[in-house]
Amino acid sequence: MTAAAEPARGAVDAALAARLARIVGDRRVLFRASELVAYASDGLPSYHVQPACAVFPGTRDETVAVVRELAAARVAFVPRGAGTGLSGGALADGVVLLGLNRLTRILSVDPDNRLAVVEPGVVNVALSRAAAPYGLHYAPDPSSQAACTIGGNVAENAGGPHCLKYGVTTNHIVALTVLLPDGEVVTLGRADGEAEGYDLVGTFVGSEGCFGVALDITVRLTPDPQAVRTLLADFTSLDAAARAVSAIIASGIVPAALEMLDAPTIRMVEASIYAAGYPVDAAAVLLIELDGALAGLEQDVTAVDAMCRAEGARAVRVARDEAERARLWQGRKKAFGAMGRLSSHLVVQDAVVPRTQLPRVLARIQEIAERHGVTVCNVFHAGDGNVHPNVAYDASNADETARVHRAMREIMDACIAAGGTITGEHGVGVDKLPYMDRIFSPQSLRAMCDLRDVFDPDRRSNPGKVVPVHSCREWHMAPAARRPAP
Amino acid sequence: MTTAAEIAGRVRDAAERGAPLRIRGRGHWMSANRPVQAAAELSLADCTGITEYVPGDLTLTARAGTPLAEIADATREHGQWLALDPFGGDDGSIGATVATASSGPLATGFGTPRDQLLGVEFVTGGGDVVRGGGRVVKNVAGFDLVRLNTGAWGTLGVLTEVTVRLRALPAARETLALPVADDERALQELCTALRGLAPAPFACELLSADLAAMAGLPPRATLLVRIGGNTQSVRAQRAALATLGGGTAPVVDDVVWHRVRTASTAGDATWRLSRGPSRVAATWTAGRDALAPFAGAWMHGSPLRGTVRCTVPAASWAAGPLDHLLHAVTHPFDGARIAETLPTHAWSVLPSPVMDRLSRGVRAAFDPHRVLNPGIMGAIA
Repeated sequence: MTAAAEPARGAVDAALAARLARIVGDRRVLFRASELVAYASDGLPSYHVQPACAVFPGTRDETVAVVRELAAARVAFVPRGAGTGLSGGALADGVVLLGLNRLTRILSVDPDNRLAVVEPGVVNVALSRAAAPYGLHYAPDPSSQAACTIGGNVAENAGGPHCLKYGVTTNHIVALTVLLPDGEVVTLGRADGEAEGYDLVGTFVGSEGCFGVALDITVRLTPDPQAVRTLLADFTSLDAAARAVSAIIASGIVPAALEMLDAPTIRMVEASIYAAGYPVDAAAVLLIELDGALAGLEQDVTAVDAMCRAEGARAVRVARDEAERARLWQGRKKAFGAMGRLSSHLVVQDAVVPRTQLPRVLARIQEIAERHGVTVCNVFHAGDGNVHPNVAYDASNADETARVHRAMREIMDACIAAGGTITGEHGVGVDKLPYMDRIFSPQSLRAMCDLRDVFDPDRRSNPGKVVPVHSCREWHMAPAARRPAP
Repeated sequence: MTTAAEIAGRVRDAAERGAPLRIRGRGHWMSANRPVQAAAELSLADCTGITEYVPGDLTLTARAGTPLAEIADATREHGQWLALDPFGGDDGSIGATVATASSGPLATGFGTPRDQLLGVEFVTGGGDVVRGGGRVVKNVAGFDLVRLNTGAWGTLGVLTEVTVRLRALPAARETLALPVADDERALQELCTALRGLAPAPFACELLSADLAAMAGLPPRATLLVRIGGNTQSVRAQRAALATLGGGTAPVVDDVVWHRVRTASTAGDATWRLSRGPSRVAATWTAGRDALAPFAGAWMHGSPLRGTVRCTVPAASWAAGPLDHLLHAVTHPFDGARIAETLPTHAWSVLPSPVMDRLSRGVRAAFDPHRVLNPGIMGAIA
């Protein structure tokens, strides 16, 4: 049961780099340490590990050829989109990094059936821009949507503020063409009607690059709402804001988004270039978006306004125009960026708790933070119960670092104890790996290992992510040896 | 109550003895007559009960054999609902609904089981009790064992517990019945107009004249639409639909949905055609052509999903040779065709659904001894 007995791997050496360069061109293969340093981190600045080589195919055919070359060489690789992930999922530790960000073609848009087919490197917001002339958009909107790619969104089953009403990535993926780690190309799902058989599309989405590479992705597009109202509700207590969230959810009104920012986050955003006009003396604000048909929208706005005030909101303001709305959203979506001003390192949590537990969990987070002397910034998808307690800190200060990590572990424990999960949208990657056996039994983790072995029996695609290695059965034995004949 | 551990014991025993099991929910519907090579039956009829329901969380966890009706009753009390209404009615179990990925008219507004499901517990063919997902509404921890088991017909595991997302019932809701012309050109126009509705209706089903009559409506092609929202929204939606209905959109009792869902009786043959909403008018025509030789055959379609569901009553197909039925099921059509319920001996005549390398691998990984419903998904699974 030792990692040393993993399936044999080939070397990532100059000869391999040269073979890859013959496929994609010299300029698209990085092999020198000084060039690879740019790929040592993803969106989480706390991790630094360097790939041994990075390769950037420019076409589908090149991608297939590269993966086949890697298969022949028995070399492990890590697929990477824009590298905006927040779980260390795109880190390549001494293996090959497979950059897919050059595969940026939107292959088709079918407005009648509200479908689009895209390559994995298409940037999230670029897809919505392409659909805009038809009055459509791509609904899942991670905060990094201006940079993150659809391929990365598929790998992580990405969420975003508007997933409260419209669903996460997996609810919007219809079909996939997948390049398996051994170089075989397969089609999952179908776009021209109902698919039959196992839901391999649903199985692939959220597999964090461990099941292979999506070569093209058929997504569902969503009609633009006729009208949008964005409200900012201002609270003098975190608890009151959390209670307002529960009241709105229970009322049956489904906001397009229901986001919370606490006092430390508000002050950080307002001190940055992303200042949104949030009240700096508030204990918390709720950013609430209602959208849909014009008829009936004001009735919901009035109801939500009343619910916020009933729970103690000082003020509720409705954005007057698109400019004000955009400004309110910018503060939310750039909150992580604003935290970057403060210090070099950031711990990002992504737990989800049952929504009735929010007031209790938020109070607990505050108590833990105070006890360890750290400042937690809460900015999160309150409507889903998806909390993001983040701590910016100075990693060169050993004492502070230790306190931050202790506090974060306790916060995660509190969320798990409240009946929650360890990640709602960022993925497990390496960052949440230590928590996996807190929420899944050895049998469940083994089942996940077995599933991975179906797609990648050699365990070469994004090795070491998602499922702790020690939980895989017979790790010492190549999985091919224990699978019954088909 | 049958526990997961007890079921795991049964499955391990079956694996050791090489005696495959036919998994049975409540046995009320969806048997589908699919051929299963089983030595014994594993019933989940006693694996019942809602295990966790906190209304404010809008989630519910129930043992797999819990009838949908029990979930509907429990949630209605709190002004909530599970927006899943599979054909066959509410006597069936939540586990069978998930295992067969069965949905009904509400799929138009709320999707299929895969969209409502948050967590599962299941027993693998090796007898392991495995959990995927959880009890929260957003969750990406680990690989997706939840969707993997949705529509797998129990061949990857015996579902023992299911967690679903609930919704609050809207303040106002009603069902409208629009008389429509169902020639292809008129239908095409209607369907284009339907795609422009905002908000999209909860459900929107086109019923053939026969089915409309069975549902207690005037015997003519009818568009049955279920809408909901706040009072102003519902008023506006009603007005928009009245325009489509040529000025009229009579409100009818919600009981029509129940009648549509339970129109089938044992022995009927049912299959679905689909190929995208933009071509649903032509799909409707294809279904009607296929059904033409059968007296009393009926169909309905979801214009916004692009699906058409065809049914030949038992008495009707049994009156002639089986070939006539098979000819109708395989009537030329360049889209997706999914058989729902057929006479047992018809399944083997039809081509097996494609079982690719990955599907075979998944099946082998989760049920290496092939003890769970062998044959139910075609020759390979």
